[in-house]
Amino acid sequence: MQLKSALAAAALGAVLWTATPAPAPAASFVEVGKQAPITILINASPWYAGFEKAVDLYSQQTGNKVDLDVTPYGGMLEKARNAVRGGTSPYDLLNLDGGWTIEFYEGGFLKPLNDIDAGFTVPKELLSCGNTHYWNAAKRFRTPDGGKLMGVPPNCNVHILAYRKDLYDKAGLSAPKTYDDVLAACQKIQSPPNMYGFVARGERGNSIRYDFSTFMIGHGGEIVANPQEGDFTVTVNSPQVLAALNQFITLMKTCGPGNYGSIGQADMIQLMASGKAAAVQAVIAAWSNFEDKTKSAVVGKVAAAPVPAAVAGKKPGVVIGNWSFAVPKNTSDDKAKAAIAFLKWFMSPEAQRAYAEAGGIPVRVDTLKSDLASKPQFSWMPAYLDSVEASVASLGYAEAAAVEAAFGLRLNQALIGEMSPAKALNTAAGEIEAIFAKSGRKTGKLAPLPE
Amino acid sequence: MGHLTPLQRVFLAVALVVIVAPFLWILMNSFKYQIAIYQGSWVFEPTLSNYTDVLFSRRSRFSDNLWNSVVVAVTSTTIVLVLGTLAAYSLNRFPWAPWVSRGLMAWLVVFHMVPVLTLVGPWYLIFRHFGLYDTLTGLVLTHVTLNLPMAIWLMLAFVREVPREMEEAAEIDGCSRIQTFGYVVLPVIVPGLIATGVLSFIFSWNEFAVALNLTSRATATVPVGVAKFAQEYEIQHAQMAAASILATIPAILIMFFGQKFVVRGLTLGSVK
Amino acid sequence: MKPPSSGFLDRSFPYWTLLPAVIVFVVLSVYPMLNLVGMSLHVYRFEGGQEIATFNPWQNFSYFSGDPIIRPAIVNTIVFVLVAVSAEMAIGLALAICVSRVSRGKGLIRTLIILPILVPPVAIGSMWRLMYNFDFGILNQGAALLGLGPINWLGDPRFSLLSVIIVDVWHWVPFIFLILFAAVEGLPGDVMEAAKIDGATQGQTTRYVVLPLLKPAIVVAFTFRSILAFKTFDEVFLLTSGGPGTSSELISLHLYKVFFQQNNLGYGAMLSITVILMVVSFLLVSRRVTAAQAQG
Repeated sequence: MQLKSALAAAALGAVLWTATPAPAPAASFVEVGKQAPITILINASPWYAGFEKAVDLYSQQTGNKVDLDVTPYGGMLEKARNAVRGGTSPYDLLNLDGGWTIEFYEGGFLKPLNDIDAGFTVPKELLSCGNTHYWNAAKRFRTPDGGKLMGVPPNCNVHILAYRKDLYDKAGLSAPKTYDDVLAACQKIQSPPNMYGFVARGERGNSIRYDFSTFMIGHGGEIVANPQEGDFTVTVNSPQVLAALNQFITLMKTCGPGNYGSIGQADMIQLMASGKAAAVQAVIAAWSNFEDKTKSAVVGKVAAAPVPAAVAGKKPGVVIGNWSFAVPKNTSDDKAKAAIAFLKWFMSPEAQRAYAEAGGIPVRVDTLKSDLASKPQFSWMPAYLDSVEASVASLGYAEAAAVEAAFGLRLNQALIGEMSPAKALNTAAGEIEAIFAKSGRKTGKLAPLPE
Repeated sequence: MGHLTPLQRVFLAVALVVIVAPFLWILMNSFKYQIAIYQGSWVFEPTLSNYTDVLFSRRSRFSDNLWNSVVVAVTSTTIVLVLGTLAAYSLNRFPWAPWVSRGLMAWLVVFHMVPVLTLVGPWYLIFRHFGLYDTLTGLVLTHVTLNLPMAIWLMLAFVREVPREMEEAAEIDGCSRIQTFGYVVLPVIVPGLIATGVLSFIFSWNEFAVALNLTSRATATVPVGVAKFAQEYEIQHAQMAAASILATIPAILIMFFGQKFVVRGLTLGSVK
Repeated sequence: MKPPSSGFLDRSFPYWTLLPAVIVFVVLSVYPMLNLVGMSLHVYRFEGGQEIATFNPWQNFSYFSGDPIIRPAIVNTIVFVLVAVSAEMAIGLALAICVSRVSRGKGLIRTLIILPILVPPVAIGSMWRLMYNFDFGILNQGAALLGLGPINWLGDPRFSLLSVIIVDVWHWVPFIFLILFAAVEGLPGDVMEAAKIDGATQGQTTRYVVLPLLKPAIVVAFTFRSILAFKTFDEVFLLTSGGPGTSSELISLHLYKVFFQQNNLGYGAMLSITVILMVVSFLLVSRRVTAAQAQG
């Protein structure tokens, strides 16, 4: 109760603060002192507006200068690589997508945060976000168990199920708990080509690999046996993964539009926002598209539910796709300290609240559970929290991009019927095993599925 | 010379419609809200919000991008035209040893085949070393390098067609080599200069990969600015359409006046 | 006019005209090219923020021979280049000749025709993807008006490469047009007059007078367009990512995935050299073919 009112006071302070530009220090934020100016590499994204407001607030409160190099998503990795590979880095904080982190950790391109400030810790309220911001060099794995703190997640991006509450209510359906519920609901609601019951991404590559993983993990399947302990036996052609793939294909073909084999992120958002889809499996970052009148014909009609379970009674399979803020190795000490100061401030409850209110996706449990969650525009918060707490990190090895390319192709071929699901998984298993063998891992594969 | 047959008229009309229609469609989208674009609607409430968002939102800095593009494209095109025409003339008209002329031409064309992706890394290191990273000078140099091969090859094709008798006549009249080049050759190859200039300009104007890697927020060019609207989780088609239109207009104007300038400057002094 | 023909600048004219271009190339092209060749022979890893290169071309060869994507990528690329570049050459040439015969408004028509290459490439991919959209796209709206069902432009492996080719032709016809139009406009007027006086029809003039005179420009346009076509990346990346399956995979897209996404520098460099060799052999073969045609 007391916490809540303190938070409310803080919020009020934040609101008053943004309304009045007077440079008085706000006592409720973390005090970080005078710091060197820093430059952050960040991409244009749905939560960018929130981040920009938070940075403005930081500069106003502390007088510390923060420059943002806003870069297209397609150019982020290139610029981050350039920055750490030659001379002094032009950036002091890099915003790294989850899939890129291993390359930077393993290559020794970053300063572990405790090497900059031995006393730095992340607050216990911070979401674990799959722990992709820790690196255990001996195990070559991202884990806090023996790992160093390499960064701080600005957001944890996970799937949710966005569904049309109005249509579900009218049909007398409640939020789907399993993919079988989704299938039943879709068959009841859909009338193609005017209304598709369920849409997920089937486009070759990252799209299908990422959207299929909720099915795969929900069935208890995995790509590799135990990468954390160095066992890279490929398990992608297990009966569990086959069952998941069959379930995925059935849903995609029964409930989706005819171009299910080429649906990407933008197509899926387009279908939902224009009112042609009754449910989509979307990442939380896409949510804002449905609640903006200039982008959506279904404002106020969409509800968020946690990712459905693939098998009734089992845990849903949620895969994390978060970003990390990290400090490049080749930046000066005072700038590295200034970067840490900013991260401390950014993770404070007050800053997280301001970040959320301006459109960001907060990373603190207490912010997600605060009074914000009861406001209509934050109605996604409970479902998001459920999903994120069930989530796991995937592809936690250096060969991730190559594995994803191989797996993403074979999945897509199974979906469009160029290969039987069993053959696709056997083929993928052989290719993934070859990838690990080339890089010298201890690998192997399961006996092939009958084709 | 001649006139169009009915068949040619039909072909030209159909071709123009097919070429221009997608552009008009982009223009229409630039006045729509995203949801109207999603729904593919033909009846919609027009808005200027995409243009104001592109031009004035803090994230965007599109007017800076436009200015940087103007500087880079105009400068690099001028350099490419001058160097390319001179080099083509020298290669075609003077008895260079084959290993020089053919070797250079082959090197140019092979260099043009290299995927730009693999050039960017080395260039970043070179420019960072010489303090030219994040400067428009550095970007101009790379665009000159990227566009010079095509310019030299193209200008060679046009220079080759200039009748040698014209030059010989000028030399008999007592013109120096420089004068012959300036007063006799240049006026004849104006159409070639214009085509080469327009292409170099457009390639520089739309170049993305190098511009992305060698610039930061303040020095970024138009293609980098436009790419910001293609985000990981959503593509802002409406703003992208507006930005594309905004990028096209100055380019057309610059090319229009650039051509006038070239034509006037080169044909005024002509001895024809 | 006074002829300062003995001046130093004039005597050295052939040299100082060529020198600047050569300098630019020595400074900015030699190192990246050598670097590329070097990379293709090495295997890279990174440790302690340093790049560690091991000489091991065999490893890169083994990537090459074990790569299941390489075959469809090469086949698709050849189909793509042949179809797209032929279409662009034919349409661009026809347009250049037609527009040169227009009596009024040449400038305006030329400006309209070059609009497609002015649109930023990222916008071309994103906008055409919308136009191809299965449910809402303008093309399927048109198909519905004609009484056809929705066409699965990007999601059907039979159509995906064709859909990419259509965008490429739309995008690059202006390139061919610009070069050939300039060449047609630069043709000496007296030749045309002479042909006319000799009683040649328009078709004959085009076939026996205009085309041979345009040959140098046609060769350059074809050469540079083919090179760019082999390097096509943005369009196909944004439209299909090479899918569905491998139906629209192109070698440059594959190169991007290997070199950039998978950070496999050695094998990626080897793929770059493969692209260069493909272009060189393509250009040599097409030269042989046209030479044989000219004789036969």
